[in-house]
Amino acid sequence: MGYEPLVQQNPLRVLDTGGENNQMGLVMARPGLGKTALLVQIALDNIFRGKRVIHVSIGESIDKTKSWYDGILQSIIQDYSLSNPQELIDMVTRNRMIMTFKIAAFSRSRLEERLNDLVLQDIFRPNCLIVDGFDFVNADREALEDIRNLMETMNMQAWFSANCRREDTRVSPAGVPAPCHEIDDLFDMIILLKPEQDATIQLDIIRNYGEQVENGKGLRLDPTTMMVKKI
Amino acid sequence: MKNNLEKVRNIGISAHIDSGKTTLTERILFYTQRIHAIHEVRGKDGVGATMDSMELEKERGITIQSAATYCSWKDYNINIIDTPGHVDFTIEVERALRVLDGAVLILCSVGGVQSQSITVNRQMTRYKVPRIAFINKCDRTGANPYRVTRQLRDKLDLNAVMIQIPIGLEGDLQGMVDLVAMKAVYFDGAQGEQIRTEDIPVDLRDEAESKREELLDAVSMFSDELMEAMLEEADIPETLLHDAIRRATLSLELTPVMLGSAYKNKGIQLLLDAVASYLPCPTDIENTALDLNKDESEVMVSHNPDDPLVALAFKLEDGRYGQLTYIRTYQGTVHKGDTIINSRTGKKTKVGRLVRMHANEMEEIEGTGSGDIVALFGIDCASGDTFCSNDLNWSMSSMHVPAPVISLAIKPVDNKAQINMSKALNRFTKEDPTFRTYVDHETSETIISGMGELHLEVYVERMKREYKALVEVGAPQVAYRETITQRAEFNYIHKKQTGGSGQFGRVSGFLEPLDDGEYEFVDQIVGGVIPREFISSCDKGFQKALEKGTLTGAPITGIRVTINDGSYHAVDSSDVAFQQAAIGAFRQGYPKAVPVIMEPIMKVAVEGPSEFQGAVMGSLNQRRGVIIGTLEESNYTVVEAEMPLAEMFGYSTTLRSLTQGKAEFTMEFSTYKQVPKSVAEELIKNFASQKKEA
Repeated sequence: MGYEPLVQQNPLRVLDTGGENNQMGLVMARPGLGKTALLVQIALDNIFRGKRVIHVSIGESIDKTKSWYDGILQSIIQDYSLSNPQELIDMVTRNRMIMTFKIAAFSRSRLEERLNDLVLQDIFRPNCLIVDGFDFVNADREALEDIRNLMETMNMQAWFSANCRREDTRVSPAGVPAPCHEIDDLFDMIILLKPEQDATIQLDIIRNYGEQVENGKGLRLDPTTMMVKKI
Repeated sequence: MKNNLEKVRNIGISAHIDSGKTTLTERILFYTQRIHAIHEVRGKDGVGATMDSMELEKERGITIQSAATYCSWKDYNINIIDTPGHVDFTIEVERALRVLDGAVLILCSVGGVQSQSITVNRQMTRYKVPRIAFINKCDRTGANPYRVTRQLRDKLDLNAVMIQIPIGLEGDLQGMVDLVAMKAVYFDGAQGEQIRTEDIPVDLRDEAESKREELLDAVSMFSDELMEAMLEEADIPETLLHDAIRRATLSLELTPVMLGSAYKNKGIQLLLDAVASYLPCPTDIENTALDLNKDESEVMVSHNPDDPLVALAFKLEDGRYGQLTYIRTYQGTVHKGDTIINSRTGKKTKVGRLVRMHANEMEEIEGTGSGDIVALFGIDCASGDTFCSNDLNWSMSSMHVPAPVISLAIKPVDNKAQINMSKALNRFTKEDPTFRTYVDHETSETIISGMGELHLEVYVERMKREYKALVEVGAPQVAYRETITQRAEFNYIHKKQTGGSGQFGRVSGFLEPLDDGEYEFVDQIVGGVIPREFISSCDKGFQKALEKGTLTGAPITGIRVTINDGSYHAVDSSDVAFQQAAIGAFRQGYPKAVPVIMEPIMKVAVEGPSEFQGAVMGSLNQRRGVIIGTLEESNYTVVEAEMPLAEMFGYSTTLRSLTQGKAEFTMEFSTYKQVPKSVAEELIKNFASQKKEA
């Protein structure tokens, strides 16, 4: 479709996101470091590779979620100085659906109902689900296993974001902090965002497609544009 | 002349249809002693409420045009701009939002936040208008102001905090507890004009305390003094709290929530107090103008009465005494006998009579302060024009007006109607730049076009009522456009030799897409191969060719025409010859430039119970819509989508039957997009067969 450079040159290629479906990914960080920015870039990368994405935003408005996409898409258009940006913007609009839930209104069963609605009526068949704002603190293992099963039956990839807190020092053997320290085995990809001295944000890739990784993979977030860059 | 800007409030009252906006305004005017009897909107006395001055509004019980009215409460001067509720009148709403500094958002305590409130709220956020929420109709069965407050937070994303709680609800509504003063307030007398304050009833004390805590928490960060007082657990002076609420409201970080019942005369005086205490005065708001001498760069208006005048004409009315122009001054003053300049036309005008309006009655005045709203007589202008004094050339609003998206053919029923119709159309186009009219030369029909079905419907009604012009109305048509997607060359010779003097002209150059703008003409002729006097003929010819595209007959936009070569004949070349040559050249180049059809895309929001979400999405999807997103709360859902206007005719009926009438939708123009191929083919086919018939 003419967007190969966007896909090939994307620093996210070091992640094996292009591979199998049915993976579950997790982005963790303290609030304000750029989880949503990273999730949106993962979503856009999926769209550029011809996939369809549902972005579930819990406790956030449609406009706000959409403005994340608009902002990052603008950065991409500038970086690659694309000649026909409108075409790209239209393609993203067509292949992305934003689903926002008030915090109290979100449940696994409701999500399943909505996804089924879309697929059965042939309105939108997603390949990738982004879940921003999932409450890991009050979710038990069962709930997540449930979602994992749902992803498998629907043949979808899913990415979650989770907030960790400085004062909570619990950590799993693999290095995954609370509140996900007890369920880290459910995820095939785990990325930790860490602020560095020089104000950049390091992408500490703890697990990459099931493989344990040492010392990350040399990616960072540009603090001004929130774009993933190679170091 | 009262000109203490701190005591001036320019406010709008905005609400969903039928949440009691007009009744509330009526009560405000009553308590501020502008009127001496209360008429109900749908009253039996047949007088109707004072604000709805237009016949049609009286009949439908809705308010269409923004009339400005003036009143004073305590020592504050309040100008109320009655904003239209329906989004189809976008430019009117936006213009009204432009001139007001703060707003009261009225909500029905039963209906809560409805789709209209969502749209209006979005517009207010866009224009950064600080607002107070007033939950009306608390006397009705099913009233629940707490639920509405929650909805304000959830659906409108406002930091809504109650500053009152009700004493009794539904039929039992007695009054309210003022959480700032911590007093119970009751309204006595036949029309609630006597206010009685008492101690808070025992059974409400706990609730009042806890709600007050919430209020303090929400505003404490806006006032260090308040924070200190809270930490010291000292008594909090009322003024301190008022001040903090005001600051929070002005910064748009807080929306104080008040409640009452306009119909039962409860809570209106407190609302007026709140307007005075919490809503901004003109100097609290930063307003910008565009300096036309400096390429429309933004400049701040000063609000200083001693500076040169800048005023916006935001509304025209055709009254018994001629044209009345409502203006708002942003800086400087206007007095009788002043000379002011219309920055759009450059025309100088002398100010004749100046009046302050109260719906249909007026009060003659000598001059205005800055930041004030008044009406002028005998000024010839269009609405949206800016007036300045001598040395300034500023404009308050951009010259950009959205192009109409829908059109209708109208036909007067008889000769008399014909005359009245043209009078009416002349008037409407002046009042509303988004309403346009022209005569189609091929069918000799009069076409009116505007921003939506209702927009045009209202004008047709107004024609009938105000001008007695009965017209037959055709089916609404989507305003398509054509544009090109590629560069294409042309080289065309126009030659005619039919006795007498002939015609000759050759034009050569190229067409290319123009991203921003409708049409541009570039002249690259060197060496006089086309004589100077015929260049403008070429321009004229191209413009003529743009009027009707060859695909569907829709106007062509987004195109740049460059001419770089040509030739002429000393005798046979003429203005007409070169116009014809340009038309021919265009027709030659156009098909090669890969023309496409563009259609208006609307931003649609459908709101209803969650159980219908699937059905709603299905219905949007069937109509070529792109669903942008959904918002789900416990039992209701909003679906936002981008829809082609052409597919939205009759959608309200579909939606009603799909959802048992429980869902509603709003629609706003968003952009023009290329029509998909299959639809385009259909359109082209229809146009071709139409042409054949004609």
